[in-house]
Amino acid sequence: MKKYPITSFLLLFFLLDSYSKITILKLTLADETNVPPLSGNWIRGDFVGLGESGDIDPGILTQEGRRRWDAYNFKVDDPSYKCIPASWTRVWLNPNVVVKISQTDDEVRLKYEFMDLDRVIPLGDPVNQSVERFNTKGIPTLGYSFAWYEADTLVIDTINISRGYISTIADWAGLPQSRFMHTVERISKSKDILNIEITHDDSIIFNQPFVTTISYVPTDYQLMKYNCDPEEASIVEPNS
Amino acid sequence: MIIKNMIIVFLLLLIAPGIVFSHHSVSLNFDQSEELTLTGKLTKISWRNPHSHFRLEVLDENGVTTEWLIEMGALNTMKRVGFKMERFVILKPISITGWEGVRNNSLFLLEATLHDGTRLICAGASCSQER
Repeated sequence: MKKYPITSFLLLFFLLDSYSKITILKLTLADETNVPPLSGNWIRGDFVGLGESGDIDPGILTQEGRRRWDAYNFKVDDPSYKCIPASWTRVWLNPNVVVKISQTDDEVRLKYEFMDLDRVIPLGDPVNQSVERFNTKGIPTLGYSFAWYEADTLVIDTINISRGYISTIADWAGLPQSRFMHTVERISKSKDILNIEITHDDSIIFNQPFVTTISYVPTDYQLMKYNCDPEEASIVEPNS
Repeated sequence: MIIKNMIIVFLLLLIAPGIVFSHHSVSLNFDQSEELTLTGKLTKISWRNPHSHFRLEVLDENGVTTEWLIEMGALNTMKRVGFKMERFVILKPISITGWEGVRNNSLFLLEATLHDGTRLICAGASCSQER
């Protein structure tokens, strides 16, 4: 000590400073790890706000968006005939199928009965977006996703979506999406209701972000294999 | 030695925070405003997701046979509600009422009277009632 008085002082300073920083970081981490309990089996409930049959103000569509929507021919354009889900919104809209959510420290997994989709999304920092995004192999219309928590909400950010359709059912059938689509799913739980708010931001199709909310309820049903077969799914007439 | 240890401790402290933080639409495909009843015999049954379907051979008054494609709910939904699929028997007579499709000879099943007289009532995309 006598030999290195200044060095000893500096060491003590660094030790104390680092200890305080680590303590603050641990407290922050404790807050961040207080994630909302979304794990469990869920099945679609009723719509809150706009749903598959909700009216869409034509004014929210750009001229190109309107043109693409008008050009949609459900007899041939619906990717479901090939067992391909059009979009995550379309996946969430599907009735009577289970969605199983499980959460870990570094990812959230959503297993959808519909088309047997298995989505393992890494949790990352929304600012520097340093994690590698998850994509469903072979289905480019579902894009690349990563997620994070904002207070009691799971946020899933998806980009690099190929051109296609937001939905293929009911009044929304053929509502288009371009490759510039950016979707943000905000999933939160209120009592026993899982609320999925999806924002579609696509300047080619919409004049303003298009938002829909779908609700899910807990279910005791377990996931079942869907086993969609494109050859069977494409049969729509007796001679087909 | 002391300085060397201090440098190691210092480097570890710098690294430490890093370690700490380290299918198709029924409403579009079928005309829900009118119902049609067909009587014939089943020739093929396919219990599937997202929609089950089977083929119905219908004989008209002129002796001409026409094949229809009958569509109904998803296999998984029917399993969950305990729907007795074995009641649909190949080559047995059946009467089916449903929404006519926008395509040729297609029908979405709403109600069926089976060969044994059992009447099945279905609702929407899933068949959950039976009586």
